[in-house]
Amino acid sequence: MPKHEVLIVGGGIAGMRAALAARERGADVALVCKVHPLRAGSGSSQGGMNAAVSDGDSMELHALDTVKGGDYLGDQDAVELLAAEAPQAVIELDHWGVPFNRDATGRLAVRALCGAGRPRACYVDELTGHAVLQVLYEQLLKAGIPTYEEWTVTGLLLEGEACGGVVALELASGRIEAFTANAVVLATGGCARVYEPSGAAYGVTADGVSLAYRAGAPLMDMEMVQFHPLGLKGRGIILTDALLGEGGYLLNGTGERFMLKVAPTVGERAPRDIMARAAEEEILAGRGADGWVSLDVRHLGGESLQRRFAVTSQLVKTVGGRDLGKEPAPVRPVAHRSIGGIRVDRDGATGVMGLYAAGGCAATGVHGANGLGGNWLLEALVFGRRAGVAAAGQARAARAPRGIESQVEEGRRRISEIVARPSGPEPAGRIRSELGGLMRQQVGLFRDASGLEAAASGLRQFRHRYERIGITSKGKRYNYDLVALLELGSVLTVSEVIVAAAQARRESRGAHYRQDHPERDDTRWLTHTLALFRPDGPRIESRPVVITKWHPQGRRY
Amino acid sequence: MEATFKVYRYDAEVGGKPAFQPYRLTLPEEATVLDGLFKIREEVDGSLAFRASCNRGFCGECTLRINRGGRLACITRVASVMTKEGEVTVEPVRNVFVLKDLVFDVEALLWGKIKSVEPWLRPAGPAPAREYLLPDEQLQPVRNAMKCYYCGLCDEGCSVIPFDKTFVGPAALTKAYRFVFDPRDGARAERLRALGEPKGMWDCVHCFEADEHCPRGIEPTHRIMDLRDTAVGMGIKSGTKNPQVARHYDSFAASVKASGWLDEGRLALETWGFRRIFSLLPIAWRAFRRGKLPLPYRHPKRPGADRIARILEKVERRNP
Repeated sequence: MPKHEVLIVGGGIAGMRAALAARERGADVALVCKVHPLRAGSGSSQGGMNAAVSDGDSMELHALDTVKGGDYLGDQDAVELLAAEAPQAVIELDHWGVPFNRDATGRLAVRALCGAGRPRACYVDELTGHAVLQVLYEQLLKAGIPTYEEWTVTGLLLEGEACGGVVALELASGRIEAFTANAVVLATGGCARVYEPSGAAYGVTADGVSLAYRAGAPLMDMEMVQFHPLGLKGRGIILTDALLGEGGYLLNGTGERFMLKVAPTVGERAPRDIMARAAEEEILAGRGADGWVSLDVRHLGGESLQRRFAVTSQLVKTVGGRDLGKEPAPVRPVAHRSIGGIRVDRDGATGVMGLYAAGGCAATGVHGANGLGGNWLLEALVFGRRAGVAAAGQARAARAPRGIESQVEEGRRRISEIVARPSGPEPAGRIRSELGGLMRQQVGLFRDASGLEAAASGLRQFRHRYERIGITSKGKRYNYDLVALLELGSVLTVSEVIVAAAQARRESRGAHYRQDHPERDDTRWLTHTLALFRPDGPRIESRPVVITKWHPQGRRY
Repeated sequence: MEATFKVYRYDAEVGGKPAFQPYRLTLPEEATVLDGLFKIREEVDGSLAFRASCNRGFCGECTLRINRGGRLACITRVASVMTKEGEVTVEPVRNVFVLKDLVFDVEALLWGKIKSVEPWLRPAGPAPAREYLLPDEQLQPVRNAMKCYYCGLCDEGCSVIPFDKTFVGPAALTKAYRFVFDPRDGARAERLRALGEPKGMWDCVHCFEADEHCPRGIEPTHRIMDLRDTAVGMGIKSGTKNPQVARHYDSFAASVKASGWLDEGRLALETWGFRRIFSLLPIAWRAFRRGKLPLPYRHPKRPGADRIARILEKVERRNP
């Protein structure tokens, strides 16, 4: 039974950053992850990370762009913290070896990303997340932090109201073990795989969010799901919006740059929520091209594309069969990131003693109702570090939990019960893809009361079906069938919360658009939604937004 | 679109011999091989084991051998690889130990070797208060090497690894390159000495298979040659446990300088030394009988050999 002071769940950017911070504070820290850290979803993040490092930029401007981009739902104290710590977060990575692009003077170069008032994103060609992921892993190896790879966490060890570790399943052997720790940091990624299609990595199945929620941690703003405008035709592979930031166009079926109607000043540099909604509107109104809009970057020049977006161009060529330098590519909005998640304070605390969260699974409040490109990686780094520091502090304060054996036994019983069950009338995969389709249809870019009601009743049926299925694979080693069934459980739980929160918020703000309440309503809804676990379904409460400097104004671009 | 996936199946838990299991699938026109594998696992046979993560050709997790070529399943369209008979053969890559079905030991192929090259920055001195002030061109080669997503296809194509699983391999050497050429790293000489030890960069036979296989165009063989050139340029002709590499280098140059030709007999003798050469005698004898081993030091001069020697001297003066 592995025992550590701090246990990080999730090997992506937030998790590794938290692990390094905890180690720096002297904690005995280990990391448990579903896939090898270098395979984590955060490596797909391309555009960059925002930081006010260039002349004429300021933390104030960064914060304002973030608040406005989030449609004034962001907690401004958290936003200010993010902007203030951003330059140091980037510089620290530079010192560790991230090869950030430089400008002519040898300083950090910055690029324009959507929703930013000026170029502000530090970047590594078109592979920023990939480079950051590699360098954090290098530092993890240097620090000698143990990693438990290909372990799926199936439960939290709870003692009274406090978390004292996790129960996890090893894919290679099928064994189930307890990992005890005085503090646990969840960094398991978001919930975007709830939707089908989805641009997220396969493992982004809301595991951590569901675990924390069931343990009593409130979830915040779960109705806020970001759709990315550039989901490539096919499975919805997301192309970097740096293509738009650097001057690409979105065209409808008649070749019109429809973004100029919606955001006349910035066009295709508008925030993602606005672009995704506009693109979907064109398609639904029949102004698309066979159900798609087009990404056109031909005018950027084939040579320049090849230099700056070689990997992206190659991807479009291989998967989409298009040459970006010569022809537009068909795209459509696709589920990308969950803005909401486990509510955390500025130190990653979830409200459950000993349980912290950071990165995609956490809601720090910085993104408000819509996250900007360039702020996601940044949030994972800034708040991952803070959570790691806090967890290391907690680790010394807490004592080892008791009553573990019975909880592990309970976990083992649950798994063997699933394996022993007959395989049932249908595979889990079918339920998940139908569920994802329903979420896309009714809880996607456009929502209304009747659609959300249909989604809620659909989910009740899925829940009923889910309880009757088993798995066909009975082996112990690499039983992905079993893992998929467990993941579907998390997906179901979290979908219910997304729907309940979307039903509660009767206004339109950022990523959440209600056709039956199309206006933003600052008098009633300048609040976060909080979802609390109850056995008969989520209880939705609200909590006011923290406003420090910027009072809500019209959001025009 | 109809396709028949022939998938490598093996489960040590059950035992038996590996076999290809056919699955007939109906897939959408734009489906990828990974879509097909998921369809099998989710609808036909839940016990099929394969790895996948990012779903967009960025993470390298779903590297497989598809119709005899190493590829990433998530960005390989079925239509682009299917045979005329509609068949798609899916198996683990070569040079690996299979754990179950399409899941193989990546620790042995890649991760362990990457860990062996001290894969973290060792800064030259205390870090500056802000970012390092650097010309972008100096970081460009580092970024190029860091495009690597650890798919392992260079190692699977490597000509040396099938004969010597302990060779560090092109992927780990590309990782080492990222530090050796990082202007922020202060351990270049030390790294190059370590890479010069047996099983390191000198074991590469520059067959260029790695360059052919790398889907990111990093050209690992060229990166290995850059490492070697830099090492020699710094006077680090080999590691301490690998003295024959330096001798090989010197003998090669001396031979060309003396006669304008490569004196192969001399090269063997000077590289391996008198003691070791005895163990090579049987091979040498066979080669000699077939006229393949010229006697050492009895090499005729090539026409224009003096000019060649002058060129070499000029180069030596420029790079002492």
